[in-house]
Amino acid sequence: MAVVDAFLIWMFLAAVSKHSGVIQLVTAIIFLIVNYVYFAKKPVPFKFLTPGLILMVLFILIPVIYTITMSAFNFQTGNEVSKDQAITALLANGLQPDANNTNYDMVLGSKGGVMTALLTDTQTKKSFIGNNSSVVALAPGSFAANANGDAVSAPGFTPYTADQAANLGDQINSLKMPLPGGVGLIEPQTETSASLFTEEYTYNSKADTLTNTSTGLVYKDNGDGNFELSSSPHTKLYPGWKAFNGFSNYLHLLDNPEVRGPFIGVFIWTFCFSIITVLMMFAVGLLLAIILDQKIALKRFYRSILILPYAIPSLMSILIWRGMFQTQYGAVNTLFHTHIDFMDSPWFAKGIVLIVNLWLGFPYFYLISSGALQAVPAELSEAASIDGANPAQILRRIKLPLVLQILSPLLIASFAFNFNNFNLIYLLTGGGPTDVLHGKFAGGTDILITYTYKTAFNGNHQDFGMASAISMVIFVIIGLISLWSIRRANVLDNNS
Amino acid sequence: MKTQSSKKPRKPLTKGRIFSHLFVWVLILFTVFPIYIVIESSFNTTGLLSTNSFIPHGISLSNFRILFHDPAVPFSHWMLNSFILATANSIISVFVGAAAAFAFSRMKFRGRKTGLQALLLVQVFPSFLAIAAIYVMMERIYTVFPSFGLGSMGGLLLIYLGGSMGVNVWLLRGYINTIPMELDEAARIDGASTTQIYWLIFFPLAAPVLAVTALLTFIGTFNEFILASIFLTNVGQRTVAVGLESFVGAALGQNWGPFAAGSILASIPLVALFLSLQRFIIGGLTQGATKG
Repeated sequence: MAVVDAFLIWMFLAAVSKHSGVIQLVTAIIFLIVNYVYFAKKPVPFKFLTPGLILMVLFILIPVIYTITMSAFNFQTGNEVSKDQAITALLANGLQPDANNTNYDMVLGSKGGVMTALLTDTQTKKSFIGNNSSVVALAPGSFAANANGDAVSAPGFTPYTADQAANLGDQINSLKMPLPGGVGLIEPQTETSASLFTEEYTYNSKADTLTNTSTGLVYKDNGDGNFELSSSPHTKLYPGWKAFNGFSNYLHLLDNPEVRGPFIGVFIWTFCFSIITVLMMFAVGLLLAIILDQKIALKRFYRSILILPYAIPSLMSILIWRGMFQTQYGAVNTLFHTHIDFMDSPWFAKGIVLIVNLWLGFPYFYLISSGALQAVPAELSEAASIDGANPAQILRRIKLPLVLQILSPLLIASFAFNFNNFNLIYLLTGGGPTDVLHGKFAGGTDILITYTYKTAFNGNHQDFGMASAISMVIFVIIGLISLWSIRRANVLDNNS
Repeated sequence: MKTQSSKKPRKPLTKGRIFSHLFVWVLILFTVFPIYIVIESSFNTTGLLSTNSFIPHGISLSNFRILFHDPAVPFSHWMLNSFILATANSIISVFVGAAAAFAFSRMKFRGRKTGLQALLLVQVFPSFLAIAAIYVMMERIYTVFPSFGLGSMGGLLLIYLGGSMGVNVWLLRGYINTIPMELDEAARIDGASTTQIYWLIFFPLAAPVLAVTALLTFIGTFNEFILASIFLTNVGQRTVAVGLESFVGAALGQNWGPFAAGSILASIPLVALFLSLQRFIIGGLTQGATKG
């Protein structure tokens, strides 16, 4: 306990020294809970529960809550920062040369220790003196000019020597001299010239609008993380910001054709895949269990070979199968002397996913089916055979219904597992084939969870908000199925 | 079962029996095919997962040599990382999970039923779904404790622990429910405290099922791919799963020879472990689910 406390205190201090408020808070709370639970006399159950609870809360509950939160935000590529940051970025990106292309001849030097520039407009020949905080016009006669009329020295201004000027490096780029009234900025272009830039947008904080200085168009906050034109609502300014948008992500799944199309396709295939694959694996496994349940030669030998796929780490088996289905040198094509591009046709790819998963899963179903067959009381079959039933009838009428009843929770669990079988799809087909040419993004074998992953992490456009929303849909489906299956088995009320 | 099977074999080669043998042999061919291919590929030098003749021509150990001598593929590090992560995760999560399962199974406290329902939901939530959230969290932790944040095995272990907790508590609770309550009560009458009951009675009784849960967690961690590939970016830190994938993933091209060799080496300990403990594992599989 002393060790744990010491560790927690050390973590807390580390958090304090790094000014990380959230982590400070979390470690402090854990510290208090742990000490209360283990030093107070009363709450015995919590002495057993606390370590597990802390882990679950930190690494499941908090991420889940964060995911729910994200699903209610417009949080995607182009909308990743806070609103203030977005406005700053818009104002900075909007700098453009002013309408007259005003250029200046420039002499760099210092005045009062601050980098300062003497500027002379190349066309009007008016002169200014400027630094990072202001630009002031120089009255004629108050400065010395060269033959061209360019200002070269002024009171208090010391021009840089050639060496000094050559060594300025990046400092030149940091010189941005604002004209009075926020009309624009003068920025050096070389060591001896500068240009006038005006801001494309000005921000009106009261009305919360951006105005384009050259066209006069007004962009309003659309409430969904972007400034957009009120006259044509699809002209948005980027970057936008992470904005709360309530249920829009969920609604987009239903009403936005671009999102809905792939989503519904993936959704249907996810269900088909999980149901078909479980039925296939169960059928093969059960049949095998029935056959090997009889006295058959070499039974032990068969058995030990047939459970191998279950013992080999599935990740490796999946990759091996992927290699075998390669077009050019894969073992399947070589064996049959064919040249089929399996991964290029959605139907082949779907078939392959089912076959490979059958390979991976039938041994498990064999094992549980054979366990269930043996759990059927022998008296039942004996009684039936005395009543004149033949073995086939006993199997069909007595054993199979009982086996189904015993195994149904496992079938449901397996359905839930395959519903989220990320490794299989991601490593075997990568969700493909994907019709990239038509800008399609969901592949022929993508299931919801790989689709989520693609939405969040792949490609040029990452949409965390939408990915979180799909995550929540998956979670709700799986959660409901599990609750239903447990309710059916009625174990929650079973106290002993 | 006895009556049925003693009648059947007396009639040799009925249609049913021919079908049975045929079915089993087709299934065996299906099972052995990829295993044969991968063993063959590991010993040949073409770097492909294929074979023309089905009879190996010559055996070469060069694929295995690459794994241990090429500094760009620190295979022994990968194995070590996987074993450290999987062992730590299985042991810690079983100890912590068993305690929680014990509390859920044996004690009455407020919020027990709600807790169980929450546990059930948490159990089906793959931590993977919240991957973006976890990523942001680990990034934050990294700034304060680099050894538990992004890119560290410690941090990944914590995520694994959180993820395996739900399933393990659920499985273990199912088993503990089958240990007769009378044992606890007898011990309590003899004056044992709850802690003593836990360590002296429950723990030894549950040892086999704890071992199975630990083993299943071990296998699960060993197979985990996506979290490891996102959180451990450094080549030397990779787990075997991520490392082997990198041989055949898009980035490095299709290097199936060393991949096959590595898969075999990585599978051997797991297959051995599984086959030696299969009876317990199968018991554990059905127990957890059927007895809830």
